Amino acid sequence: MPMGHTATAEAGSGGLTATEHRLANGLRVVLSEDHLTPVAAVCLWYDVGSRHEVQGRTGLAHLFEHLMFQGSAQVKGNGHFELVQGAGGSLNGTTSFERTNYFETMPAHQLELALWLEADRMGSLLTALDDESMENQRDVVKNERRQRYDNVPYGTAFEKIFALAYPEGHPYHHTPIGSMADLDAATLEDARAFFRTYYAPNNAVLSVVGDIDPEQTLAWIEKYFGSIASHDGKPAPRDGALPEVIGGEIREVVREEVPARALMAGYRLPEDGTRACDAADVALTILGYGESSRLYNRLVRRDRTAVTAGFGLLRLAGAPSLGWLDVKTSGDVEVPVIEAAVDEELARLAAEGPTAEEMERAQAQLEREWLDRLGTVSGRADELCRYAVLFGDPQLALTAVERVLEVTAEEVQEVAKNRLRPDNRAVLVYEPITPEGADADGDEDEEEEAK
Amino acid sequence: MTDLATMEFHPRPQAGEPKPWAFPAPERGALDNGLTVLRCHRPGQQVVAVEVLLDAPLDAEPAGLDGVATIMARAFAEGTDKHSAEDFAAELERCGATLDMHADHPGVRVSLEVPASRLPKALGLLADALRAPAFAEDEVSRLVRNRLDEIPHELANPARRAAKELYKELFPANSRMARPRQGTEETVEKIDAAAVRAFYDRHVRPATSTAVVVGDLTGVDLDALLAETLGAWKGSPAAPRPVPAVSSDDTGRVVIVDRPGSVQTQLLIGRTGPDRHDRVWPAQVLGTYCLGGTLTSRLDKVLREEKGYTYGVRAFGQVLRSAPDGSGAALLAVSGSVDTPNTGPALQDLWQVLRTLAEGGLTDAERDTAVQNLVGVAPLKYETAAAVAGTLADQVEQHLPDDFQATLYQQLVATGTVEATAAVVNAFPVDRLVTVLVGDAAQIAGPVRELGIGEVTVVSAE
Repeated sequence: MPMGHTATAEAGSGGLTATEHRLANGLRVVLSEDHLTPVAAVCLWYDVGSRHEVQGRTGLAHLFEHLMFQGSAQVKGNGHFELVQGAGGSLNGTTSFERTNYFETMPAHQLELALWLEADRMGSLLTALDDESMENQRDVVKNERRQRYDNVPYGTAFEKIFALAYPEGHPYHHTPIGSMADLDAATLEDARAFFRTYYAPNNAVLSVVGDIDPEQTLAWIEKYFGSIASHDGKPAPRDGALPEVIGGEIREVVREEVPARALMAGYRLPEDGTRACDAADVALTILGYGESSRLYNRLVRRDRTAVTAGFGLLRLAGAPSLGWLDVKTSGDVEVPVIEAAVDEELARLAAEGPTAEEMERAQAQLEREWLDRLGTVSGRADELCRYAVLFGDPQLALTAVERVLEVTAEEVQEVAKNRLRPDNRAVLVYEPITPEGADADGDEDEEEEAK
Repeated sequence: MTDLATMEFHPRPQAGEPKPWAFPAPERGALDNGLTVLRCHRPGQQVVAVEVLLDAPLDAEPAGLDGVATIMARAFAEGTDKHSAEDFAAELERCGATLDMHADHPGVRVSLEVPASRLPKALGLLADALRAPAFAEDEVSRLVRNRLDEIPHELANPARRAAKELYKELFPANSRMARPRQGTEETVEKIDAAAVRAFYDRHVRPATSTAVVVGDLTGVDLDALLAETLGAWKGSPAAPRPVPAVSSDDTGRVVIVDRPGSVQTQLLIGRTGPDRHDRVWPAQVLGTYCLGGTLTSRLDKVLREEKGYTYGVRAFGQVLRSAPDGSGAALLAVSGSVDTPNTGPALQDLWQVLRTLAEGGLTDAERDTAVQNLVGVAPLKYETAAAVAGTLADQVEQHLPDDFQATLYQQLVATGTVEATAAVVNAFPVDRLVTVLVGDAAQIAGPVRELGIGEVTVVSAE
């Protein structure tokens, strides 16, 4: 699959192919052969994420993902982990806004075991799910939340930005980790209902990539997954559509015990799967990825007002994507100084567009990221599932890099002009407080508190 | 009732016939300027990894200038005799390349990753950076300022803060290992372009450096390419430097770094022990995996999967520095975080796991699973060029033979339960562990004192 005139014309998707199949129960299957290394990746995407959660039950999709590792009809306790690792495999699961994925990378001769394990929990999880697992994993997930978000500086910025950028009641207003109160409130019956609603073969895509015999693999998949009943009744997720721009800046100032001032912002950007989203990716790369980006050159190199400056894209298919700006200030520099410089740089890109050199740089960086992602069997399996679940066509994974390379300077300028504007962002400012000035209770959001 | 699965069940499948896989053997050679080169062709790996090791260890930093190796390493990417700092970064990114620099106890590592088609240009830039770094005063002072800005962020991070304290506790005050790798505010602010240049002149030259090149090298004339890039780097010959001995104090004790309001306590519990030169290494790897390598290991079975005190606790062995004569050392440690109210109970359970292990030993089943995992994951772990290059570079840096990793897999298979038990029990003796806790002292100090795991000291986080 040639990719035009770039330096790695044969590298990106050359030689990569994928075939698609569907079992009678609706399970979609994607296979991709690659015999370079004797390994095989199994990846299973369920079309359910935190956007499907209802009010009062945030975090349920992720808590449920943990329960998927607590045993099923033929797999005792932690057997899923034990069997995969004992076979020389590695595994995990993750939950995002739009999907929950489970994956095993196995030595090729252990592929059948991974398929058997995934089928067992897809078909029989509820025969093993009990209160003990529920209570234990609730505690584990609460500790995950503490470790990754609550106990680290700026740790809750991610959920604050989403809460600001996506309005109350919007399916992306809350993040997958959920709130402590909701994690406490989740019941075993909630988990059971969640499984019955969303964990069905017709709500999933299975990909297998690597040193495989496709015919044999398909026969195993039919054998293990084929008898699992499909079921309907999955409610459509709440509509994530929003106007193209926010229409006015949203702002929150957080006063917390953090090491430095910070300016963060979420910009509302085009949905994943569109050409405009690829253009936004290139625009944000030019502005804020790597050490030759405009914001890095301006804030870190020239003005020397920031210790780090970056701009990244969170692609979302069911709602506008989010462009995430993150700048930590240097020394005593005040946030307005940073903000004025950022605004200037964004306005300049909108007014003048990128240079040819910047386009080349950004596209080369994005191309390498794709090569990295498609360079491992697990990365390829995940991307095939992603395009199958979110866009209905796994083949799009193999041509994604071509689309990024087709983006023109005009399209980058267009997205900068239309979207990277002050009236289209949710701003989060961190102002440090000293420990003495901290609330005696030391917990919760101190955004309104005086210094 | 509705939960009875209706699917058709099948017995658990048996494994097929394993396909042979071996850790790749590199081809070793040298350029005319004395640079050692290891190369390894990995078909299909379109992103090539290049690791360069410089014999510029942290103990070579002049007194009072901790951090000069770090600033030098970063300054490699800030301009050369051909490019300004901004142009250099731009040219590199135009290749779709990433360049990372890291100064550590054994030396400085420079890591390049780039699509194979752009390797020639990126290798040229890397060679320029090593051969003729600009070290412009203005750029160095910016890097110094930037480094000073980073320090408060590191101290505010519980895991980083814990590491800083553990090193300070374990090693003698006059040892470089006792002090932060990237320097402190007091030392970093003294660094200037002249100090960086002096460090470079004294410690960086091709004759004491090694380059490791791994990836799909189809159609790449690597000899010619190396000759015109890294081959143009000149420098005097030099004898390998002696490696200072590592000593540490592992008297069992507890240091609490007070972080009021913490909802969790960060644990880092460690001591030093044998490195890869020691015959016990394979058994130590195996035993440490059984103790805390994954969530079904002994520690997480209790602390996570039974009690729910943590998202995960890991035991590991990490080589600090090795010497050709085998006098090096590794950090052997347990790390993780537990919720504040359960800090005492979690530590009590952790110590009980260690005691039970010492009393009853590992089971054959545990040993078998661990071997199958550690050996079985190798083809997965080394799928990318960067992973292979990293391990080959580690071997060079640790004065190990090029086939060390390949041999290690055979040794793991040959290691029995008794040896693995002995190794892990020796690695983690209950009365010789230094425990660092970063958390809310007002809440955790009392319960921790009651455990009797050593004298408890509380220090402030600043």
